[in-house]
Amino acid sequence: MYLFTKPCPMQKRNTLFSSYPRDPGLFDELFDQEGKVTKVYSKLFNLYGKNSISDYLELNNKAKASFFNQGITFQVYNEATTREKIFPFDLFPRIIGAEEWAHIEKGVVQRCRALNLFLHDLYHEKEILKAGVVPLELINSSENYLEQMVGLDPPGGIYNHISGTDIIRHKDGEFYVLEDNIRCPSGVSYVLSNRAALKRAFFGVFNHYDVHTVTNYAENLLDQLERVKPGGVDVPTCVVLTPGMYNSAFYEHSYLAKTMGVELVEGRDLYVENDFVYMKTIMGPRRVDILYRRIDDHFIDPLEFRQDSALGVPGLFAAYKKGNITIVNAPGTGVADDKAVYTYVPDIIRFYLGEEPILKNVQTYHCSRKEDLEYVLDNIRELVVKPVDEAGGYGISIGNCLTDTEVEEVRQSIRNAPRKYVAQPILSLSVHPTFIEESQSFEQRHIDLRTFTVLGPDSSYVLKGGLTRVALRKGNLIVNSSQGGGSKDTWVLQK
Amino acid sequence: MLARVADNLFWMGRYIERAEHMARFMNVNYFSSLDAPSSTSQSREFVLRSMVNMTGLSMASSGVLKEQDVLYRIGTDPGESSSIVNSIKNARGNAQSARDLISTELYESINKFYHFAVDYPTGKFVRTGLFDFTTQVTEMTAIIRGKIRGTLLHDSIYAIIMLGVNLERALQITRIIQAKYLDALHAEGEQEEGFRYSYEWTTLLKCTESYDMMRRLYKKQPTSTSTLEFLILNPNCPRSVMNSLNQIYRHISILDPLRIRDKDSSAFLIGKIRAEYQFKSIEDIDNNHREFITETLSSLSAIGSRIEGEFFYY
Repeated sequence: MYLFTKPCPMQKRNTLFSSYPRDPGLFDELFDQEGKVTKVYSKLFNLYGKNSISDYLELNNKAKASFFNQGITFQVYNEATTREKIFPFDLFPRIIGAEEWAHIEKGVVQRCRALNLFLHDLYHEKEILKAGVVPLELINSSENYLEQMVGLDPPGGIYNHISGTDIIRHKDGEFYVLEDNIRCPSGVSYVLSNRAALKRAFFGVFNHYDVHTVTNYAENLLDQLERVKPGGVDVPTCVVLTPGMYNSAFYEHSYLAKTMGVELVEGRDLYVENDFVYMKTIMGPRRVDILYRRIDDHFIDPLEFRQDSALGVPGLFAAYKKGNITIVNAPGTGVADDKAVYTYVPDIIRFYLGEEPILKNVQTYHCSRKEDLEYVLDNIRELVVKPVDEAGGYGISIGNCLTDTEVEEVRQSIRNAPRKYVAQPILSLSVHPTFIEESQSFEQRHIDLRTFTVLGPDSSYVLKGGLTRVALRKGNLIVNSSQGGGSKDTWVLQK
Repeated sequence: MLARVADNLFWMGRYIERAEHMARFMNVNYFSSLDAPSSTSQSREFVLRSMVNMTGLSMASSGVLKEQDVLYRIGTDPGESSSIVNSIKNARGNAQSARDLISTELYESINKFYHFAVDYPTGKFVRTGLFDFTTQVTEMTAIIRGKIRGTLLHDSIYAIIMLGVNLERALQITRIIQAKYLDALHAEGEQEEGFRYSYEWTTLLKCTESYDMMRRLYKKQPTSTSTLEFLILNPNCPRSVMNSLNQIYRHISILDPLRIRDKDSSAFLIGKIRAEYQFKSIEDIDNNHREFITETLSSLSAIGSRIEGEFFYY
């Protein structure tokens, strides 16, 4: 019983982790296979270990209260009352070493560049389809391919200005890209508020690590956005377009506008006259040049897309076509980030850049291909089945968690619409010690990482950090906040 | 600044100020009536009716008012659009949609205020919590005003908020004067002397947190004349209508320095009304209180509509 052994001065018993249940079958970010603390975490492990569980609990509660008072919350709607909840946040940070990060950063930039070229090609010459690298039907059948974008040249030649790339570490220790999000990726404000919360709670630990800052995101974003201003504009006016304060990501929209020092507008604040876009200010109309919109393609302009949209601006697309405004991200990027195109990204990279992909892709089976379909139908238990066009973790079936009737249902929906589904082997996401309030102790939970890349015409910026999302329910692999996920501050080390 | 957002900030200021005056009025009136000198002004019905008049609550004008009912509806009733808790809710709603423009510190103080108010147990409020709730509301509004002044840039955003705060202050002070004027009439009848020296003037001054300073200035028991002079015309009294008009004029000038010459502008109208009050003496008012109060209220609402028309919904 270690409780009675004399603690060795170098490795004092760490009460925080004394009851940490470690499953050796999983890749733990903190402990290696023998249960030893990995090098990057060793200082942190000792520093946190100086706290008792009750100290930790107190800090945890304070951090939660601070999120709540600052209104970094989302609304939960039910029968009579709406309640505000904070996004669960874990005070134990995730650390990524400098070398590992360099690999990730190079990999995501490569992917984003290739996807940008891919989008340009799809809306112009379609070389990649002619070469047969990506099947024509895949694009033709995509709901996210916008005919309106054909032949259009977005200012600066950039489509996916802002990309959120979701990365996981498998139990083999390698990083894999799980998803590219190049429509309106969200989550960056949580990276910044997680850092702020952690600094307040455990300021001392930052003295022991050289952690890259994350607070420069807004200025880098604004800098890149101003580089893709429409022609003929000297000092561009940039705004953030939000669906409004009842949107679940409204905090993020207001945060981005505030930190970039630009106006946060709603559709009703804008109007179009002679193909120029204006906002209504107290001193009269003011021209808008760059629109960072946080609403989906289909809602941006009722004259061109969904006619019932009250969120958008009538005439916006016409102004865009004339080159009088930059829309960020460009309309029509959704065609390149759906889960069916995902499988071709390695080929897309080779085709446009002539390089080997730096980050790996997860093996994916397309139910639209006959041989894949058969394999999927026969092996549902070993696979994760995903609809190609859903976001937020909805509609995902994890084979080994299904009952027999559910398996049959999944089979049936795949047979009904094979194009709608892809399947991947069940990956074992790496785990990270996470404080669990119910048991008041640290336990292993699965994590992923969303990185944020900002692409400009001749340079790019990757936020050195990112959002580490945690699946708080035990054994759960889905980390999305809409599915009960939390998040952690993510440290990228300078050396 | 966006017109819509300016509208929201203006109303954020107004709702914060409104919550404060309502809370303070309830607090002072209720507790000072407990040992008031006359039996009329000691009666529950009298003080509850006064609260109903001041807040403009729609309640049957005859019949006996139930204390817990009145307190609930003015204080914490989520279904009553003009309750204190709804003012605070609206203040936060407006702040939230302009969150990118105001400081984190200001938003945080408004957000805390909101959570305090919506979480306050209603049962406690109507039975034992009246003093606690209303005192905390007035203190938290003071903190919020401190954050407005101390953490925002003093630019057009600040000016819009302060326009809302000061316009609402002038309106609320006038409504409080109106309510207490009616109370004094009611308590003393048509008796000239009784009305002049009514205890209600002391309550009125306390309702506006101006009693101590008024005593310092006049060094005498408050009368109808001295109280109204102090609360309406004295530019140094921070709660006076005159002071609010000066503030409104100052902030409209930040917003709109060039439009003062345009006679359709808000700035012109505010300047005109302000000049009228600046060169008024208490003798001009003393014989027709009732009319004067009504006129003041309508001048102030005219300012409000002019500002809305010029800046928010042009």
